Amino acid sequence: MNDFGLFLNGINPVLFIVVPLGFAFGIPLLGMISKKIVKWVPVFVYSFVLVGALSNIPDVLDKPIIIQIGGFVPPFGINLVAGPVGILFSALIAFAGLMVSIYAVVYIKEGPEVRYHILYLLLLTGAMGVVLTGDIFNLFVFFEILCISSYTLVGYFGNKSGIESAVKYLIQGAIGSSLLLIGIGLLYGLFGTLNMADLARQISSADPVTVFIPMALMITGLGVEAALFPLNAWLPDAHSSAPSSISAILSGIAIEVGLYAVIRILFTIFGISDFIMFFVFLGVLTLLIGEMCAFSQNNIKRMLAYSSIGQIGLMVFAFAIATSHAVAGGLFQMISHTLGKGLLFMAAGYMIIRSGSMKTASFEGMGKRMPLTCVAFTIGAFSIVGLPPFIGFPSKFLIIQSALAKGTVLFTILTGLVLMGTVIEGAYFFRIVQVIYFKKGNGDSERNEAPIAALIPMFLFTAVIIIIGIYPKFVLGILDSAASELLNQIDYIRSVLG
Amino acid sequence: MRSIISIFLLVVIAWGMITVLQEIPFGSSETRVGQRYIDQGREETGAANIVTSVVLNYRGFDTLGEITVLFVAAIGLGAVLSTNRKKKKREIESASLVLYTGCRFLFPLILLFGAYIFIHGHLTPGGGFQGGAIVASAFVLVYLGCRGRRISETGSKAVESLGGLIFIGIGLAGLAVGGRYFLSNFLPKGELNTLFSAGVIPILYIAIGFKVGSELAGVIDHLIEDSE
Repeated sequence: MNDFGLFLNGINPVLFIVVPLGFAFGIPLLGMISKKIVKWVPVFVYSFVLVGALSNIPDVLDKPIIIQIGGFVPPFGINLVAGPVGILFSALIAFAGLMVSIYAVVYIKEGPEVRYHILYLLLLTGAMGVVLTGDIFNLFVFFEILCISSYTLVGYFGNKSGIESAVKYLIQGAIGSSLLLIGIGLLYGLFGTLNMADLARQISSADPVTVFIPMALMITGLGVEAALFPLNAWLPDAHSSAPSSISAILSGIAIEVGLYAVIRILFTIFGISDFIMFFVFLGVLTLLIGEMCAFSQNNIKRMLAYSSIGQIGLMVFAFAIATSHAVAGGLFQMISHTLGKGLLFMAAGYMIIRSGSMKTASFEGMGKRMPLTCVAFTIGAFSIVGLPPFIGFPSKFLIIQSALAKGTVLFTILTGLVLMGTVIEGAYFFRIVQVIYFKKGNGDSERNEAPIAALIPMFLFTAVIIIIGIYPKFVLGILDSAASELLNQIDYIRSVLG
Repeated sequence: MRSIISIFLLVVIAWGMITVLQEIPFGSSETRVGQRYIDQGREETGAANIVTSVVLNYRGFDTLGEITVLFVAAIGLGAVLSTNRKKKKREIESASLVLYTGCRFLFPLILLFGAYIFIHGHLTPGGGFQGGAIVASAFVLVYLGCRGRRISETGSKAVESLGGLIFIGIGLAGLAVGGRYFLSNFLPKGELNTLFSAGVIPILYIAIGFKVGSELAGVIDHLIEDSE
């Protein structure tokens, strides 16, 4: 229990936060020596973090690793909780971060590049901190790092639409953060502690009406970042005007981390373990609205952004059912969405550059011009829709199965609605695939593939999508223990406070 | 109609917050966590200023996050402003002799005061953030009074980076060499209430002071550049 150091059995999870942070601080110095090294820093850092996260998996399946910062016993100091959930998310963040940073090596070649790479590292550090911390105020601090760096990255190109959507995002995000902070403040006032396990222990014996208000404030505040309906007006603009590499991270990581914070607060702190009708409906509503808006778009990036809203709705639906199967399905859906949507945005990024427009109509004949990128795009689309043998199939299947297992008429109807959302999703993705392959382009049809640095991450994403799609057992083990960590509040409290 | 809904919503939120605020025992120190900081903060951290012991020791990880938030904001501002920066030189009307001399006279004194605040952060009220803000205010004065003088961008960036790296480095030293925990206070705590006490706390505060000072000065520099 006591031999903490740089290495436990795996690499100490505190380094997943501190090492990227240290490099982010150091990049300005490195940039003075050579600008060329800077863009390789995120690649190097996230290779390390990915190895670190994977090295911890065997340990956390056994029991969660509690890391005290500064050596103070919780609740007196801050502690990190690297349980199955934390490690699952850190591995996901590190993998997506690594892939997108390889993509960005050639994709980002104009604008203040050094600052881009600093902000990119900080964005992912914020996300990593949120998923690993065991302290509610610490969560807020890392959440702010995540949000502020994404506001600025949305406006990275400095054009009118970028700045406009960044400001929109900034205003809504800032209101959300304030609500979250007020909620945390009220909780601290009521219970005099910020440690999540300690809060959870005290809340179970508190007056439910008093506790409800901070909970509502916190969930509303986080809901802005998690893109819950109706707090997601910023998302389509922000995700479509950001650079494509950042869109991939915002869609694949940022909103999911927001949703993680929502479920962590609901399940672990407030101990809500029964299914929550409100969130079930909210999820289905978010899903249907997102998919229907996506259907009516002819701008590819806005379409993908709305599709992210739909996917978030599906995850909320899964988490709100709150059986261990459904929660595992929700987490699985998060993985498959990160991979699928990341792949789609990366492929779309170069398709937009080659065709010179975000209009879907301009992709006619793309299948001949950039065959590999288009195959990657198609696989991403099929996976998001949920076709076998891609990762989207087992994750959606798990959710549908656990919803039907509830056995009530209401849930059967809701499942029908969810499936209808999937049909809409299929309709607009197939429409694009059809444009890419079966329409003749009237422009030049010369072969002009994306550069190799973009093809490598796309290929690796595709490989993971297919491998997990065929052998979902690879991840089901950690998903099951992650689901039981989320649902089992008492074990969480015991593992932190002893 | 819209304003009626907004007012209604605000009333609901206000009512909710009032109900909760009534439950909060203000002014009493009944909480276990707070009481422990008051009772044992001095012995455990060696800092005479309990606020500092909480900010840099018990919750030092939050402070690392806070300086990162400021760093993000400064870098982000630079990124957004640099995209459409005009390379035009500013028209400078020089200040009067009295103002010019006054600013030059005050500048080192303000720097000294700022440094005093962050070096004594573990003993007296104040600390790295406050001291850093004072240091940055000295640069504002120079920008106002001795127009045409600029801070060196490379220098401020280097100081900013080094400040952050020292914080991280001390944290890692605590993990690797000292006490097995990230950010543990592994240096000797010294005698309470003397300048050389509280282990790593003064070093951290000096690093924060330099970082915050150069960051805020850099922010001012960016904003002045683009205010035309």
